[in-house]
Amino acid sequence: MVESPLRLHGLVLGLHPTPEPFDFQALPGEIWMLAGAVDSGRHELVRTIAGLASPRAGHIELFGHDVARMAPRARARLRGRTGVVLEQSGLVPAWSVFENLSLLVRYHGLVPDPEVEDYVVDFIESCRLPREILPRLASDLSPLESGWIGLLRALIVRPKLFLVSAYLPRETLAPGYSVLAFFEDVVEPMEMTILVDAGPHALPVGPATRLLVMERGTLLAAGPARDLVAHPDPRVRDYARYDHA
Amino acid sequence: MKSPAPPGFWGRIENLGLVVVRPLGRLLEELDFLAMTLMSVGQAPRGQWRFVRRHVWQQIYFTAVQRAYVFTVVGLIIGALTAFPLIVFGIHDPRLLGRIMHIMMYHQLNPILAALFVAGLSGAAITAELGELRANQAIDHLAAMGIDPYGFFVLPRLLGMIVSLLILGFWLNIGVTFGAAVMLNVYQNIPLTVFFRVCVLGLTCGSLALTVGMVVMQAIHIALVQTLRAFRVRAYVDIPRALPSAFARSFIGCLVISLLFSLVRYG
Repeated sequence: MVESPLRLHGLVLGLHPTPEPFDFQALPGEIWMLAGAVDSGRHELVRTIAGLASPRAGHIELFGHDVARMAPRARARLRGRTGVVLEQSGLVPAWSVFENLSLLVRYHGLVPDPEVEDYVVDFIESCRLPREILPRLASDLSPLESGWIGLLRALIVRPKLFLVSAYLPRETLAPGYSVLAFFEDVVEPMEMTILVDAGPHALPVGPATRLLVMERGTLLAAGPARDLVAHPDPRVRDYARYDHA
Repeated sequence: MKSPAPPGFWGRIENLGLVVVRPLGRLLEELDFLAMTLMSVGQAPRGQWRFVRRHVWQQIYFTAVQRAYVFTVVGLIIGALTAFPLIVFGIHDPRLLGRIMHIMMYHQLNPILAALFVAGLSGAAITAELGELRANQAIDHLAAMGIDPYGFFVLPRLLGMIVSLLILGFWLNIGVTFGAAVMLNVYQNIPLTVFFRVCVLGLTCGSLALTVGMVVMQAIHIALVQTLRAFRVRAYVDIPRALPSAFARSFIGCLVISLLFSLVRYG
């Protein structure tokens, strides 16, 4: 049986007024895009799955384990398989880019200590970033650079579940290297489950795009856009339109 | 605009109750925070300890080593100032002078002064640093990716603060003793060796243990209040508000701890 990286049972988000409970499941390798109005609960859902907000009721299963019932150390190990990108880059400003990138690698013991530097350098180069960025202080980076380093810090642990609640950068730091090419070269080979909340209509929607349409803190519909275009709810149909893509 | 009606009898009673309940609530909150931090020790993965060690040393370096010069100067001046009233009152008995140094300086004023400096300098730096990490979501990011914020951010500062305050308290005592000894030697011809001897002879295991206990409690209180305030920061604008309130609360708490220990010691 395939282990589901993310499963939600009767989840009620901690919002006011109390939303309706909902279920959801994401399979390995699936990419889900959150859709909905500004206060629809998209952001709260990502924070709740990431363990930064408490649900009012329901269960969150990560990789087949109910996170609420796990011992803290086991839960931390499980969270180590999750990459998270929030609105701000979340780098430690007084640390260098290398220290920021190597933190999770060292903390979770992903590679032996002597190999950490090579691991980080290899990863940076595979993302077509110049090695010279590593000794720079995070506080000296431009907003675009900070955004990318924040994204790479979440990807460097090669997570199996990737949660994004941020406006993604529209250009890379390497001239002539598109975001789409970065996605195909770096993100796709990791074969992770991705849940993206990049704002309403921020990303192009195609017929195969999996949408998770939210409204007032609950799930209205979930599925590929081509299945949702005929949904009885006009709000779902509006988000599922892919003719403009 | 209509002004709110003055509270009646029960309103005043309620306000009086809140005056008592609020500090208790804060104390419970602080104890809860301490419990979370101590629990994180047992739950820390192996990879965390290298960071704890590194951050403890950094905290000691920034709090104790970098401030040693300031504490030396302050200690010498306070020692000289302490000696003046003794000279004015014409106290010549070295044993009495040693006793005064112990009761007034080593047991009470020096630990309070050390706590005041540490809360104002290093404590404020902790609030500002962690407050920024809260505001830019660094703590949220790391917590969501499996890093325990209590074990990673609070525990090293707590341990570093305890060691630093003990070192600085000891260093301040030396500075104060030396400053007072020089002044008493100049104005009252009390030999330096005699004064140092009476100061050392007055030390007992019991009083030393009480002083160390008090300093440890003060350090824990400062670290907890400053990190707790920093963890409550939601945006950058909260940081300038958090700094003075964290300083005031940590210093008042240190005064209360000193008072409680003095009651145990002399009460």
